[in-house]
Amino acid sequence: MKELQDLARTLLSDGTVQVVIGWEDGPTGARPVFVTSPEGADKLIFDTRCVHNLATFLSPRRSHVARLGKAAVVVKGCDARAVAMLLRESQIKREDIVLIGVRCGGVQKDPASKEPLTAATVADKCTGCDVREPHLADHVVGELPQAPPNDDARERFIEELSAMPASERWEFWQTAFARCVRCNACREVCPLCTCERCIVDKTQPRWIEPSAHPAAIMAWQITRAQHHAGRCSDCGECARVCPAGIPLDVLNREMARILQIRFDYTATDDPEAPAPLGAFRTDDGQEFIR
Amino acid sequence: MNVYEPYLMTIDDVIDETADTRTLRLKFQDESVAESFDFRAGQFGEYSAFGAGECTFCIASPPTRRGYLECTFKSAGKVTSALRDLNPGDTVGFRGPYGNHFPLNEMEGKDLVFIAGGIGLAPVRCVIWNVLDQRDKYGKVTIVYGARSVGDLCYKRELQEWSERDDVTLWQTVDPGGETPEWKGEVGFVPTVLEKAAPSAETACAVLCGPPIMIKLTLPTLKKLGFEDDAIYTTLENRMKCGIGKCGRCNIGHVYVCVDGPVFTAAQLAALPPEY
Amino acid sequence: MSETRFITTQALAELTAELLAAGTRVVAPAEAADGAVDYQVISNAKDVVLDERMPRRSLRGFFQPPTEQVFTWNRTDSGFSLKPVDLSTEPWVVLGARPCDAAGAAAIDAVMNGEPKDDLWMRRRETVTVIGLACAAMGPGCFCELVGKGPADTTGSDILLRPAQGGYIVEIVTPRGQAFVEAHSAKFTSTDAEVQAPPKRYDPAPMDRIEAWLEANFNDEFWQELSLRCLGCGTCTSICPTCYCFDIVDEPVGTSAGARRRNWDTCQVGLFTLHASGHNPRPEQTNRCRQRIMHKFYIYPHRHDILLCTGCGRCVVACPTGVNLPEILTGIAGRAGEDTTMGGPA
Repeated sequence: MKELQDLARTLLSDGTVQVVIGWEDGPTGARPVFVTSPEGADKLIFDTRCVHNLATFLSPRRSHVARLGKAAVVVKGCDARAVAMLLRESQIKREDIVLIGVRCGGVQKDPASKEPLTAATVADKCTGCDVREPHLADHVVGELPQAPPNDDARERFIEELSAMPASERWEFWQTAFARCVRCNACREVCPLCTCERCIVDKTQPRWIEPSAHPAAIMAWQITRAQHHAGRCSDCGECARVCPAGIPLDVLNREMARILQIRFDYTATDDPEAPAPLGAFRTDDGQEFIR
Repeated sequence: MNVYEPYLMTIDDVIDETADTRTLRLKFQDESVAESFDFRAGQFGEYSAFGAGECTFCIASPPTRRGYLECTFKSAGKVTSALRDLNPGDTVGFRGPYGNHFPLNEMEGKDLVFIAGGIGLAPVRCVIWNVLDQRDKYGKVTIVYGARSVGDLCYKRELQEWSERDDVTLWQTVDPGGETPEWKGEVGFVPTVLEKAAPSAETACAVLCGPPIMIKLTLPTLKKLGFEDDAIYTTLENRMKCGIGKCGRCNIGHVYVCVDGPVFTAAQLAALPPEY
Repeated sequence: MSETRFITTQALAELTAELLAAGTRVVAPAEAADGAVDYQVISNAKDVVLDERMPRRSLRGFFQPPTEQVFTWNRTDSGFSLKPVDLSTEPWVVLGARPCDAAGAAAIDAVMNGEPKDDLWMRRRETVTVIGLACAAMGPGCFCELVGKGPADTTGSDILLRPAQGGYIVEIVTPRGQAFVEAHSAKFTSTDAEVQAPPKRYDPAPMDRIEAWLEANFNDEFWQELSLRCLGCGTCTSICPTCYCFDIVDEPVGTSAGARRRNWDTCQVGLFTLHASGHNPRPEQTNRCRQRIMHKFYIYPHRHDILLCTGCGRCVVACPTGVNLPEILTGIAGRAGEDTTMGGPA
């Protein structure tokens, strides 16, 4: 990806940034890379294996990355939604980062996969993508590929779930959550889990028990889903990292669907768009606040 | 055997050492345990406030005084706050004794210099009383103890007792600005007062405990006075849960504070990676 | 001790059904609701999956559950009482343990069995018969050979099943395995069948030199580089056969009762080492990444003479950002080789 490499080389050699966070070819597939010298720019790639949401490295909790200095981050259009949320929530300042948007035609489910991109191999998040041309960016690189293959399996599953009687839907989630070991991997990978001290780590008082028994697991999962409502950028990393295979992205999508219905809101890469649960409008449907 | 099952203890007495530091005197509810329980100076336990959890404190009372255990703690988090809410007659838990201990056998016949800051006096106090209870086994006893202010001095009654003994040389100090008009002790940081006290390092050992900054600044002073690194003992703390080397969290390099410590010589400390 | 027999696939299924019928707890790989394979307590022999699919998590959870009660307490007018959990355990069976998983559980015994003996862990270890399943093929992340193990390693197995035509060559490893085979002798026959081993992927890494390098290189820019991509998610530690670090918490029920629990914990989060004062000896991901490598390849072998890694490769596949243990170990071995102060062949 010569255009990307050249841009990175320039940004590093003229001192605009101290690190370019992008992707490289690792031993088991595409993986994040931190290029701190112009020569290192040759490592940068972009292809359908670049699944990861690199915006997560901008989270203020990644102090070990922040100490490298000012960063340029390579973002797909969807990753930029997470950047927009970080900006909206004042977790980062726009002038402190350089965004390199990359034109994208979809990514694999698996960053190790060298298969062609098909309906079977494409990531669930890519269906219906409207940000192949990134909007929130200082530079945009790459050719605009064709739209990703359509795989609405996740959409159909969510419709199926919604159509289930509540008891059956409950049963589905109970079975999935029974495998949860409260490892918190979902929280740690998320670009938007930025709380300095997560609610489950608070002890005075102990709001949510950390143990992996059904009551505490449900409390955690519900709390997390609520905290993500209107904020989640659907990068799917939580579901990808979950060692128990819990379909966390399905839960987050359902919350997003409800937000769309209730507040006419969809996650956006426009940092100026007010967050539905973080802003008030005079035509807001909630009576109590008037 | 369930090694995580604590002994049940009754709070026998509650003593407020300072505004935020409290001593609990505990008695074993099981008579047979009360009779047989033994430990060495420097060892610690895991104390339970049932419902809040466990906390690691040294055993602050000396092994020469049987029938009870004492712990001294500062309110810092969930468990210490819960312990502070308890009263005489309430039940707490105790698991222990854990860890290694000060080598009192090796200290016999030697002059001993005890240096402590703030609540760091707690483990040192255990050794002091152990020594004073067997006074003729040991040489000269010098104590240098300081706190931020007069109000922050722990074990005030015992400081009074020690100051009145003619077989103990006690130097008490408070940080500049921490003195009261009535204060008759030194004003200055512990390392400064130690240098003034200038105890001889010949056939002597030092026992040292206090805030990290105090330890950092006291070690060079001890060296200046001629103390070798393997004649200086300190006690470390780290976040602990099991206390018995199983849960994997209290290590500094390959050393687990709960089983290889908490007592270390300055020589051993110097060999540890800077991860504490 | 190594004696070989044979068991057909059919006979193994019948044996499993008999164990279940007798009320024995059997843990085996089986399909989960989402289609992936997990080690599970099975209720039907037909559910057992012994193909090339590796269970997604290790056997750890069957020796040390993600959460388990340690004791309960009760406070009434007549006083305070504490009830430790009943540690009595019925003999049980693991069927189809991958060699890396069997060896992983055995590696943890060193710390749990050490004085004082942790019976919460050991009682499950002392009552289990592990029927291992040798790997006919290497998975995408596998690196058992790199750490001195292998697809047919017998460490931690009482019996090892080696896939062959029509069934399994049965290697009896321990007296317990011998007793098991004798107790079900009708299911086993003799054999001169040949085993196909998968092609070698790795030569063993110089673990002694790696250990020595780790001891000597606590502060090295190596740690900063490797940790940048690490998100501290800890998924590596939750699927690992040799991770065992745990937390102890109290869960009150109202004001007069409750339970103390032991839960899985991970060195990859800041809370693991956070002091109540706010001080954290491992404040950044760099420190925490280093701790994981140190624990596995220096601290544990230094204390117990056993590596705390069996090369199962799950972390390699599961890591969302491509932190790669074989790459790290090879990198350290390379640095160790260049360090002329360390002695040994360059």
